[in-house]
Amino acid sequence: MHKLRVIEKLRERMSDEDKVVRETLYQLLKTVIFPAWKEGNQGTFISLMMAYVFNAMTHLMIDVRLMAFKTFDLVIQHYPVSFSMFAEKIIQHYKEILQKNQFNLHDKGKLKSVLAGLAYCLSLLPCNTTDNNSSTDNAVADRRILHAFESETHKDHSGFSSAEKELKSLLPILISGIQDFMPSCLAMETQSYDCVLSILKSIDLVVKFFVNGKGRSAKQLKVSLPSNGSDQVVLQKLLKKLFVLFPLNPTHQSSEKVENRLFKLNVIVSEIFFCLYDWSAPPSVFLDKFLVFIIDALSEKVVRSGRAFFQKHFLSLIPFIPKLVMQVDNAWKSHILQAFTEVFKKCDPESSMKLVCLSAVEEMLFIKTSWVSPNTSDSEIVDFQISWIREIPLLLTLLGDKNPLATKDVLRLQLHLAQCGTHTQEVDNMQYTLREFYSTCPCDGDISYGPFMKLEREIQELSVCCLYYFSFMDPSLLQSVAGCCLSHDLDPSLLFRFLEVLNCAYRAGHIQIADYISFLITLLSRYQVSSESGSLDVEICVKSNSELFRSVTSAVCSCLHQIGDDHLVFKMLEGAVVDQISNKPPLENTCALLRMIITLDTNPTKLCEQSILKLGSVLTGYMIDVVSSLGKEDCGLSNGIHTSRSRYYILPCFLLFYRSEKILNHVLNVMSSFILGNDSPTFDGQNGHVVMIDHLNRITAVVGILLLMNEDAKVWQMLQCYKKETDSILQNILTVMSDGDNLRIEEKHRVQCSYDRLKRLL
Amino acid sequence: MEDEVVLASSSTDAAIGCWDLRSGAEHLRYRSCASPSHGLVSVAGRFLASSQLRDSSSGSVLFWSWNKPQVEVKSFPAEAINPLACNSEGTYIVGGGVSGDIYLWEVATGRLLKKWHGHYRAVTCLVFSMDQSLLISGAEDGSVRVWSLLMIFDEERQQRSGHLYEYSFTEHALPVTDIVTGYGGSNAIIVSASQDRTCKVWSLARGTLLRNIVFPSVIDAVALDPGEHVFYAGGRDGKIYIAELNSLGKSNNNYGLHIIGTLSDQSKAICSLAFALDGLQLVAGSEDGFVRVWDTKTHNIIRVFKHAKGPVNNILVIRQPPALYPRTSANNQGLMARKQVSLPPPLEKFTSIDEHSDLSIYIPPQPDYQRPCDATYATVDTMNKQINELQQRGSCGASEMEIERLKADNKRAMQMIQQWKKMYENLHQFCVGDLLSGEGDTSTV
Repeated sequence: MHKLRVIEKLRERMSDEDKVVRETLYQLLKTVIFPAWKEGNQGTFISLMMAYVFNAMTHLMIDVRLMAFKTFDLVIQHYPVSFSMFAEKIIQHYKEILQKNQFNLHDKGKLKSVLAGLAYCLSLLPCNTTDNNSSTDNAVADRRILHAFESETHKDHSGFSSAEKELKSLLPILISGIQDFMPSCLAMETQSYDCVLSILKSIDLVVKFFVNGKGRSAKQLKVSLPSNGSDQVVLQKLLKKLFVLFPLNPTHQSSEKVENRLFKLNVIVSEIFFCLYDWSAPPSVFLDKFLVFIIDALSEKVVRSGRAFFQKHFLSLIPFIPKLVMQVDNAWKSHILQAFTEVFKKCDPESSMKLVCLSAVEEMLFIKTSWVSPNTSDSEIVDFQISWIREIPLLLTLLGDKNPLATKDVLRLQLHLAQCGTHTQEVDNMQYTLREFYSTCPCDGDISYGPFMKLEREIQELSVCCLYYFSFMDPSLLQSVAGCCLSHDLDPSLLFRFLEVLNCAYRAGHIQIADYISFLITLLSRYQVSSESGSLDVEICVKSNSELFRSVTSAVCSCLHQIGDDHLVFKMLEGAVVDQISNKPPLENTCALLRMIITLDTNPTKLCEQSILKLGSVLTGYMIDVVSSLGKEDCGLSNGIHTSRSRYYILPCFLLFYRSEKILNHVLNVMSSFILGNDSPTFDGQNGHVVMIDHLNRITAVVGILLLMNEDAKVWQMLQCYKKETDSILQNILTVMSDGDNLRIEEKHRVQCSYDRLKRLL
Repeated sequence: MEDEVVLASSSTDAAIGCWDLRSGAEHLRYRSCASPSHGLVSVAGRFLASSQLRDSSSGSVLFWSWNKPQVEVKSFPAEAINPLACNSEGTYIVGGGVSGDIYLWEVATGRLLKKWHGHYRAVTCLVFSMDQSLLISGAEDGSVRVWSLLMIFDEERQQRSGHLYEYSFTEHALPVTDIVTGYGGSNAIIVSASQDRTCKVWSLARGTLLRNIVFPSVIDAVALDPGEHVFYAGGRDGKIYIAELNSLGKSNNNYGLHIIGTLSDQSKAICSLAFALDGLQLVAGSEDGFVRVWDTKTHNIIRVFKHAKGPVNNILVIRQPPALYPRTSANNQGLMARKQVSLPPPLEKFTSIDEHSDLSIYIPPQPDYQRPCDATYATVDTMNKQINELQQRGSCGASEMEIERLKADNKRAMQMIQQWKKMYENLHQFCVGDLLSGEGDTSTV
């Protein structure tokens, strides 16, 4: 409450005659009051202040006025809303002071601040067409109820419509100002240069408001209104004087600094010009002048000082290039394209220039579809388009993970391009460069990952989507993608996303069946599940890893079904998978590969003789590994988990047994010879840590397997038919016992126990 | 309550299954159909039409009448057609080609009225808005486009706006799999599903994205609850997700924002969804060849139909067409309906150039046999009569108007005459006065 009182008292001092008082008030406002008033009711505060500010603005003493403008700047900077509330009035005041002074009565330092303030005010006019995206994003996130009434207060620009007239009449004043300042500006007075700069900025903003900002509310309507051409014509006439001045050339031998300054001004003038230019009207006399400037600037003839300076200031002209390319005649066009492509290729990938160029590229790539203009000849632009497209994958690798937003934009462009399918050939060629973005595998060594792995999830997902649209996916790219899938750093959900998208791509005919199958096999055979031994807390994370791998396995298996006719797919896949299994990959991977086989196999089996033999010899080793590795953990775990786990590993074997008795036979034979330890083809220990040398472990393992078989009724039943083989196993155990010189008593006892257990069962 | 039938077709070469929704009894099976998704339509309940997957070089669209299992009409459009749609009166069939072209045929004559390039890549789904004025298409390039039928035939407006479509939504990153529209004509919302795992809700009035919902799996089919409180999204993981439209977004479960639950029975991927006419029963076609009917209130399965081995990628639920009523129950009417049905000619391959053909009015046979048939005839008759009368200016209304006009003319003429008369009088007076005074002058001189 008393805050307002204080303000009420203070504001009267705004038009105090004493300079010191005004200064102090200004400082007080700046340092104490405004920062303190951040929260709370701004509305009352502003209205309390503004009346007196306006009063001071019309004060007789020029110094008071200038101070008032300064204070007003402060207000605006803290509460930008206040401009839209008083727009009309504010501009009036500015007009008055600019008109009356005629720019020569007072020292320019003061006017400079006034002009800067004006430029700042005008920058609050709604003229940006680019911020649409972010605001809609927010709207999507914010909207809680779909059919609800949407309040439109936040986009109410009604305050500005009344200011339109004022703005228009402001322009002649500004231009006469330029004319006044120009001589001294060309003579390189810093003060007047700054004034000219602010004035040009203000003009630019006003023009943008009329061209872009005003029609925006109308665009919401379904029928798009023709752009307000009348405004454009009026403004063009008003600004003719300005265009006559262009280009501003240094008078005589001048320094680099001077040239840079003039270049800056020239850029703004051309921005104003192109913003206003009406392409449907007959070409203006000034057009050539501006085109020459653009081309010279693009080819960096104008600026002597470095590229950074050029890029920083030329940025605002780039968005006009697509329009130019579309409209100007061919001679100009090829020059512009040439120069633009040069700039696009040369500029630093992380600079904002690249981004702006990129959006211009995007616009120009889709020219044919978004514009109905008869006078664009395609052939010429196509070459340039291709060279732009070739930049895209390079850009992705260059950008790395340093600038995620830029990467996102590039990927968007890539996706959009791929979706269109206009430059199929080029898009497909992109793949070869794109490999480095995912991962590369130099020569059988470790995989080196590209920037893809370090990006944010959302962006990764976008790049995964891009994969879908290659009309023919190259095996090498698929390999590099597989490299990413095998990494443990990849978010699990993204791994499934890869599978999903590749499956879709396969279904759409973008991946060849052999490549796709080999991708799936690679994934299952080479995915590293961390070894299961270790301390307890490691155990937890390890568990999730193997859990993940299991769901990957099941996802892959469901993909297999969708590939096509099961029988044919099985025939294609059989050889490769069996080969992989005979290479004795780790337990989990073997299990996954076995599961692949049984998913597609039928009862009775479709496996060919050769694979049955191979499998039979490997399976024993696998089962022994399962039993022995599980047996170790057995003590710690509860029984239920143990059985379900062992069941998961053993089930594929059992299913194979159901389908082919031959395999069972083979396995039994191998087991019985294994006990004797004579030949050890299967017993290299598939997992490094399971190394069994002594007879005891061998026997317990074999007995363990048979016990597991006993748990499965169907396998057990089948086992009854192989009396001879089981007997030979028993016999062999006996042989080992009787031969028992190398067994200690304790061991002997345990072998005896196992034997008895087995004997009871058989 | 009227009887409803469930129609299901598959992408593998199988028949179109047809069951009574309430009793579960199976009707005819319409043979040899391998349809792409969204490729099966019932043309206003008069007959069945389906695009075919088989020969990809040139497409084919087949028609079946209700009472015969064999294909009756075969047409061969210029390219393979994926989705088909038809407006509710059954006057137009729209097909989306693999090249991205969209074809619009007139059913009665088979004429190709219009063909335009709609998308960059193959069209994947086509739907009409509820008021039949807008056509919404989704494509493999991830774009969803809204076409106004008026605009398509209005070249001037096309020129002005520079493009054919009303809106083009390009936010989907992967192919669009399904689109449904809500109530409200051109103010409705639409929901589009895509392989990028999202469903997006759009406003047709504003042309903006209203909501983006990310699902745990690819969504292949969407069905909108008639009250538009929720929509159902059938995922490749076999679950039907329920996503809310109107309540507050909160994620109290592990599915994600806006998803409030699932219907799930451990089946395989859901390929198609459709609501029964009562708005309570949800019919889902699955990849394992089964069609399951869910009660959305209790979340239970109430019926299962076995269709075929392949995925059931099309489900239609429509009122039972008269031809399917057994002879015994409605013998005469059934027979009548049978007689009435004669299928239209095949769809043409190219736009016909001859413009000499007169405007022909097509009166569709009434699908609803309970209503009198001549109602439409009467209206057409009166329309014709009125047109004739207007042309000859023979009707009493027209002559009355004419008389009024003549009377007004007459009145105006009379007024004119009065004015002229007055003027003449004045002039006369003046002249006479002048003359007389002149005489006086001369006499004085």
